[in-house]
Amino acid sequence: MPNISAILGWVRPAAVALLMLLPAAQQSAQAAAPAESFVAENIDKGLRILNGAQSAQRTTQFQTFLEGLTDIGRIAKFTLGNARRAGSPADVAAFDAAFRNYAEAVYQSRLSQYSGQTLKVIGSTEPNPGDTIVKTVMVDPAQSGQQPLEVDFRVVSESGRLVVIDVAIAGVWLSIEERDQFSAFLSQHNGSIPALVSHLNQLTAQMKSGGR
Amino acid sequence: MQAGKLALVAVAGLLLAGCADTPPAPGGAPGDPYEATNRQIFAANLDLDRMFLKRTAETYNRVVPEFGRERVHDLLRNLNLPVTFANDLLQGEPKRASQTFARFGVNSTVGLGGLFDPATTHFAIPDHSEDFGQTLGVWGVGGDPYLMLPFLGPSSPRDVTGMAVDVGLDPMTWLHFKQHVWWQAGRQYFQVLDLRSRNIDTLEGLERSSVDFYASTRSLYRQYRANEIRNGRPDTDNLPDL
Repeated sequence: MPNISAILGWVRPAAVALLMLLPAAQQSAQAAAPAESFVAENIDKGLRILNGAQSAQRTTQFQTFLEGLTDIGRIAKFTLGNARRAGSPADVAAFDAAFRNYAEAVYQSRLSQYSGQTLKVIGSTEPNPGDTIVKTVMVDPAQSGQQPLEVDFRVVSESGRLVVIDVAIAGVWLSIEERDQFSAFLSQHNGSIPALVSHLNQLTAQMKSGGR
Repeated sequence: MQAGKLALVAVAGLLLAGCADTPPAPGGAPGDPYEATNRQIFAANLDLDRMFLKRTAETYNRVVPEFGRERVHDLLRNLNLPVTFANDLLQGEPKRASQTFARFGVNSTVGLGGLFDPATTHFAIPDHSEDFGQTLGVWGVGGDPYLMLPFLGPSSPRDVTGMAVDVGLDPMTWLHFKQHVWWQAGRQYFQVLDLRSRNIDTLEGLERSSVDFYASTRSLYRQYRANEIRNGRPDTDNLPDL
């Protein structure tokens, strides 16, 4: 004969626990929604800038836009990886500055390919509290019949504001791709951070002069 | 004889997959123990691309009107749907299999033998593509070691095996009609041309902005394949630790 009081003994705490979880679940849903609107608004803003004619003003506008939207310092830290520990403070500082310029040039160059298209927010997931992945789909009116390209934005909250710390195109996280490249370059060049800095600066100059 | 050849390649591929336990060369990247050879093959592939394929693709874009190129693209994609269907079933995805079946049915009939894609434009049936390499991935086979194949580009023992098996899964392989070999060769030729012609600007941009184009291609390929195997579900357990 089951012990009624034993059953009731755990039902009540379980019910209380459930009730306590509900506000947290709601909070999660609420946290996801601001991240989604954050991404949607900034996509519009960014595409509007990129849709403008190629000019020095457009480059500066996009640069300012990126700095406000992302935490490039945090991305720089990740992409240098373990080499950061071994490098001198001067080398690491030079890398951070070079990476900032390189990233701006790369994002402008890679993303301006997609001007004339739109990104539509389709949902989000929150793998950790305060860490949201906003899923969007690129809609290209010209190439209908293609599998729509998925672009994910990883949004975290930092000192009370939302920032984008990574972008995945078709499941490829740019931060990982960049770290893999930098680590390969360093192992081909005896771990020399100055060599990497110089190469980044060269690439940045080429991308900027190439008019892309 | 074809089946025998396929079996040989498949077995070789699976044996190579055992090399996944090979540790990387000292200072080398994980999962790429053959990096030195791979880099050489990559350089050779880039030369071949620059000298032949890219120019042919640019000419193709210039000479053939977009309407024609879109018909070729739609036809090729439709011909690949039976392989996707077989792999949907092998992966235990009945819903995706039924979408593939519907796409093939609609495009082969209403779409005039696959020349058009009303499944997307009029019926909004979702599109996806599967291959046996992805099926092996779903069944737990890993994508290491990274292989850079001559002509074929980035791959792995798993994906090489997958390519061989897909030839067997493709009904076109077994339909013997007049000029069958020429037809298949033509199809492969246009498959490569179609893909290359649609990616000229993207690859140029990638090469121009890459710190290490070989490493960039490797990272893109591995992440992209892993994403395909997950069918786009985010891998929230392995997010970069930013």
